[in-house]
Amino acid sequence: MDFTFTEDQQLFADSVKDFLQGEITAESIRASWETETGRSDELWAQITELGLPAMLVPEEFGGLGMTELDVVLMAIECGRVALHEPIVEMAMVATPLLAALAPNNEKCADLLGQIAGGEAKVAIAHTVNHVVADAHIADYLILPHADQIHLVAQADVKLEAQESVDPSRRLSTVDWTPSEATCIASGAEGVALLAATLNRGALASAAQMIGLAEAMVARSVQYSEERQQFGKPIGVNQALKHHMANCAVKTEFAKAPLYRAAYVLSMKPESADFAISHAKVVAGEAALFAAKNSIQLHGAMGYTWECDLHIWMKRSWALDKFWGHAGFHKNRTHQWLMNPNAQIGADNTFGAVAI
Amino acid sequence: MKILVAVKRVVDYNVKVRPKSDGTGVDIANAKMSINPFCEIAVEEAVRLKEKGVATEIVAVSMGAKQSQEQIRTAMALGADRGILVESDTELQPLTIAKCLKAIVDNEKPDLVILGKQSIDGDNNQTGQMLGALTGMGQGTFASEIEIADGKVSVIREVDGGLQTVSLSLPAIVTTDLRLNEPRYASLPNIMKAKKKPLDTTTPEELGVDASPRVQTLKVEPPAERQAGIKVADVAELVDKLKNEAKVF
Repeated sequence: MDFTFTEDQQLFADSVKDFLQGEITAESIRASWETETGRSDELWAQITELGLPAMLVPEEFGGLGMTELDVVLMAIECGRVALHEPIVEMAMVATPLLAALAPNNEKCADLLGQIAGGEAKVAIAHTVNHVVADAHIADYLILPHADQIHLVAQADVKLEAQESVDPSRRLSTVDWTPSEATCIASGAEGVALLAATLNRGALASAAQMIGLAEAMVARSVQYSEERQQFGKPIGVNQALKHHMANCAVKTEFAKAPLYRAAYVLSMKPESADFAISHAKVVAGEAALFAAKNSIQLHGAMGYTWECDLHIWMKRSWALDKFWGHAGFHKNRTHQWLMNPNAQIGADNTFGAVAI
Repeated sequence: MKILVAVKRVVDYNVKVRPKSDGTGVDIANAKMSINPFCEIAVEEAVRLKEKGVATEIVAVSMGAKQSQEQIRTAMALGADRGILVESDTELQPLTIAKCLKAIVDNEKPDLVILGKQSIDGDNNQTGQMLGALTGMGQGTFASEIEIADGKVSVIREVDGGLQTVSLSLPAIVTTDLRLNEPRYASLPNIMKAKKKPLDTTTPEELGVDASPRVQTLKVEPPAERQAGIKVADVAELVDKLKNEAKVF
């Protein structure tokens, strides 16, 4: 078995990493907080030029036809820089839903083409979330209603802004009225798509949290090398470096469930619930653990507004709760394991998918 | 117009390298490798010339181990049309590289050769100039701006005293300085397309070049650690120290 990512997958991730690390800084994120939308058309144009919105759009609709496994490394990179633009959720969560409907739905097919070309943005709601992220800049919203899924123009809904603990996140509640004209899926199809969307949202959040955790550890290690006390860097003290080592171990151990979840979701999505929930729980634990210990390592200033650490910390807090909090995903894991026909054991590690 | 661009595989500029413990070289095991930044600028300039309609074909050339294909693929993802790898596992030094490039220039007959002014690993700043001498082409080194018209290339060079403009008859060689342009990022669709672009492989031997090194590295050691500063009581003491200890006056 070869568990490594392919050369192409690594190359895509490196390319996205180079771009993000060149363009996104703590200063640029802070600057975005001062703008009305919190988003930048210029940055979005660059993101579009790189082809990121088209990643999971099928080739027949103008996209790149990638899978979750291809993009999971890129989502980690988005987390690493605490990217505030809504690309991960739009590309990894909204577009696969539209792609599932596009072959039989002209409206979805047209919209996919616009997304791939950077001409339209879509925000997605789910019953597991109380608010919608980035609805304020979306052209269309994907909204659930019982077993139905609706595609609604933003102009036809009323948004009410909701404050997030993370100033980079722009959240809204949506006041809208379902209609037959806006319904794009219903019944068993709608339920299945909503379930798949939940898994994709949780995977996207988990991947970003791995990036956030690694970024916080990297920043903290750098700080511990620079900050001197009694004539030596504070990082030489075991009381600090062991905490960072624990964070690194926890994050590293969370990567395997994340990669497994991405694999199962792309190969056998109907078996992905357990893998997704496992990944979301451990990625959340790793990010929160890294946040807590990074604050401790920085001392009191780690919690101040001036210290950039809180940009990553608050995003971790937010994403840990979004697309299902830890309790929700632990319950799903519990239900899966307690199922009389549970597909557990070595043969089912990858959702019984031959690799 | 055909443009030949040289791209070198070097340790990524973000990586902090350290000498090997035995001092025989720099430890690059498991280090991230990238296109030399000045070579990336060279590729970007060639792509811009093609986008302006001045150039019709861009050929990216690299030399070294098989892994240098990655840098050629990156150049093709940025816009080069095809690639040539001169494969060799021996350490290729500037004169060898220049001789290989001369052989490729003879084969390809480009109108313009664009190279980085130097690589960030060797810092030699020799290949472009040596290639100029070997081919007899005019050379515009340290370019911060280039313009092509009427069979000539006008190059604004960054020199110590300011800027110098030279006009070269084509074919010519240009080496890039930092301010020539800001390279673009490779987009995902272009990375995918680059996989399908042709990449030929050759060797120094096939090009008739003796690749054996002429310069031997005797020792590599890190720079001396910076000493801690001191506080002086007043300006007089500062001047005294600058004069008698630092001896800058």
